[in-house]
Amino acid sequence: MEIIKKIVQIEHKRWIIGSSLIALFLLLPIIFLFSNIFEIEQSSFVYLWKNLLLDYSFNTFYLIAITSLFALLFGIFPAWYVSNYKFKFRVFFDIALFLPLAIPTYIMAFTYSDLLSYTGPLQSYLRNNYPDFSNIFNNDYLQIEILGILLGLALYPYVYTASRVSFSLIGSTYINMSKNLGLSSTKLFFKVIIPLSKPAIFSGLFLVIMEVLNEYGAVKYFGVNTYTTGIFRAWFSMGNENTAIQLACLLIFLVFIILFIEKLSHKKSKFYYSANSKIEKLSTPTSNKYLYIYSLCSLPFILGFLIPFFYILNNSILNFKNIDFSRLFELSLNSIQVSTISTVLIIIIALLFLYVEKISKLKLSTFISQVTSLGYVIPGAVIGLGVILLFTKIPMLSSYSLVGSFYVLIYAYVFRFLAVGKSPIKSSLEKQPESFDDTAKTLGLGPFKILQKIHFPINRLALITAFIVTFVDLLKELPITLILRPFNFDTLATQTYEFAIEEMMVESSSYSLAIILIGSVMLVFLKYIINKQINAS
Amino acid sequence: MHLKVTNLVKFYNKKDPLIESLNFSVEKGEIVSFLGESGVGKTTFLKCISGLENINSGSIVLNNKTLNDKDLFVRPQDRKIGFVFQDYPLFPHLNLRDNIIFNLEKKYIKNLEYMLSLTNLSSLVDRFPHELSGGEQQRACIARALIREPDLLLLDEPFSNLDVAIKHSIRDEIYQIIKTTKTTTILVTHDINDSLNIADKILVFKAGKLQQYSDPVEMYCKPANCYCARILGSINKYEKDGEPYYIRPEKINIVEESDIKLVVEKSLFQGKEYNVTAKYGQENWNLFSSTPFKKDEVICVSFEKEDLIYFPPNCLNYF
Repeated sequence: MEIIKKIVQIEHKRWIIGSSLIALFLLLPIIFLFSNIFEIEQSSFVYLWKNLLLDYSFNTFYLIAITSLFALLFGIFPAWYVSNYKFKFRVFFDIALFLPLAIPTYIMAFTYSDLLSYTGPLQSYLRNNYPDFSNIFNNDYLQIEILGILLGLALYPYVYTASRVSFSLIGSTYINMSKNLGLSSTKLFFKVIIPLSKPAIFSGLFLVIMEVLNEYGAVKYFGVNTYTTGIFRAWFSMGNENTAIQLACLLIFLVFIILFIEKLSHKKSKFYYSANSKIEKLSTPTSNKYLYIYSLCSLPFILGFLIPFFYILNNSILNFKNIDFSRLFELSLNSIQVSTISTVLIIIIALLFLYVEKISKLKLSTFISQVTSLGYVIPGAVIGLGVILLFTKIPMLSSYSLVGSFYVLIYAYVFRFLAVGKSPIKSSLEKQPESFDDTAKTLGLGPFKILQKIHFPINRLALITAFIVTFVDLLKELPITLILRPFNFDTLATQTYEFAIEEMMVESSSYSLAIILIGSVMLVFLKYIINKQINAS
Repeated sequence: MHLKVTNLVKFYNKKDPLIESLNFSVEKGEIVSFLGESGVGKTTFLKCISGLENINSGSIVLNNKTLNDKDLFVRPQDRKIGFVFQDYPLFPHLNLRDNIIFNLEKKYIKNLEYMLSLTNLSSLVDRFPHELSGGEQQRACIARALIREPDLLLLDEPFSNLDVAIKHSIRDEIYQIIKTTKTTTILVTHDINDSLNIADKILVFKAGKLQQYSDPVEMYCKPANCYCARILGSINKYEKDGEPYYIRPEKINIVEESDIKLVVEKSLFQGKEYNVTAKYGQENWNLFSSTPFKKDEVICVSFEKEDLIYFPPNCLNYF
């Protein structure tokens, strides 16, 4: 009786029940995937263990290591220079270094493999002009190491953004104190700035690792066997559903271990930025330092954005007469449509979960909010697999033949990218004092009105940020779209991939260019908002 | 009675209640200061009164209407209670005018001009919260609470975030505003001067219990126990006939000759006079003097018998 009385007394019951049901609905594919693992025959597991697992594991970890190393190198140093030093084109670099996020990893891989190939412009030029040297460059570039560097170039902006915010907020106090204690600028960077920014850098690196685990297009093109390509191969090429499920569960297990390490690193190095502690005055670099600054800021931008962008632009111009504009327009519209619908849904659901967590103050609501964020750390291929299993194996759902419909595609998108939309809203909501809600309550507002009249307008910048980051991620999305798209439905991403995988790089260029242009415009706007927030904090 | 709180109990952990059986009442138009140290449950008490927290037992009746008892819980938005929070939560996306009239019933709009002039904010109505000083934000929060003619105004540590230089003038301004509008007010504070200066009654709260509830003069001169005596200012222990008595510093006179002799430890200049710390046996005494004394100088003091306050021997150990 006491428990029932307590439940009856809980405030905001309708909100809590509503959000719990939505969370359960979103988690169904993963629950269903795990429930299936117990029904798998042992022979399938033995086959996986003996023949595939070692190769998949080695490649996955090796690729993560190379990508992480280059993402750190390309991300951390420019972030420090832009945050701490005054130099010409600083503002330009701050935006430019962010732009490789607009280039999907698979486009980066297709572009460079074409550029470096025997028939590509680099080797052709060398053969024609310097025949003696040309043999040095005549190599097979479709190697895992090259792929790691290319993924590093495409993904370093995650590290750059996280480090940039952290470096800016660490503030003058620590810098002045360190200088006063006699630290040179190099020692200051390695002994104070990097250790203090470790949690931020690691959170950026965590996103890089998750993207590598999720990667399909680039690894498939380079012929590197990872867990994700293994799931596709087992499921679609070999028709071996059991192996695909086992690999998917293994991949989730691996992701949870990395997630656990990430949480542990945060716990160990808790650090709060003190209030009003921004870097007050940018340092003027010495003349020697200018060389480092311009080289280290230009290199990731040139390699990560400028070269692929101009190469694709050049291909598009050369192929201008053959571009099917109506098809390009149709696919752009498809991409924008599914991305917009999914993003709006993601923002609404993310806001609902976070708001219920805020007003109910129940551990259950916090748990729900956290567990639904797991979608982002689960690779798209695994989610795709879980969704297909769910909608084909459960009789109640399979009778509707939903697989291959927009609903299922959007459902999978929402689960996969919910955490992306949630993150900026969460950090913004946490900054609002509880007294805002309490004041609004005493002024006569109910929970919905408080959300509408207080939190919605106050957090509008965070909502716009959430919209842009989610939209750009969805625009580039490949594995889920390949698995779940409706029949005869293409997006810019799938079309780019399909042409590229058939070695039709020129034909794919206009679609790649559309993704890059739409993404770049949105990211430049996003960078403007982020800088506004850094300056306002 | 305008507000009547009966047997109010509030706990988060049943074994360690924050408020145990609190009883008191407030007359209409009175300002009551709820005085207690940090962490004693002052803000929780205000949240219980305003409905932001549900009580575990007891009852709250305001203006002859029960707000909370074992069967009834009136929602905060339906209580007609104005709450001014410690951190001046003005909504950042609204200017001052829109903050004040936020969710305001039409019948109260007529109060806007009066409230703006009363709080001296008329020229700042178009400014946003970040363009206002701490004192202006504070007055805006009070205007927002008072414009809807609340039955009760709750002020949670309203002066704790202000600089000492402006604190006194703002405290006087707020006192005038509350008294002009004849609003019944509960002011939560840990600062004794705030309580003594603007409260009609002081409620001292400690260890989950009400220790004393009376007007400031009675509280100062006739404290209910040594905790109440201490919290309102320093007291000096004086043994007489083997019994512990206490005397306030300002009741002590420095004289040429007396049986009570003190050895000076230090004299600190405080603007109008010196605050002298001196040893009386093993006890440290505080008293005031118009002239300074040197360390180890011996001074004679006297006081009236009726100014002595008696507490049982173990009183100081109790709290």
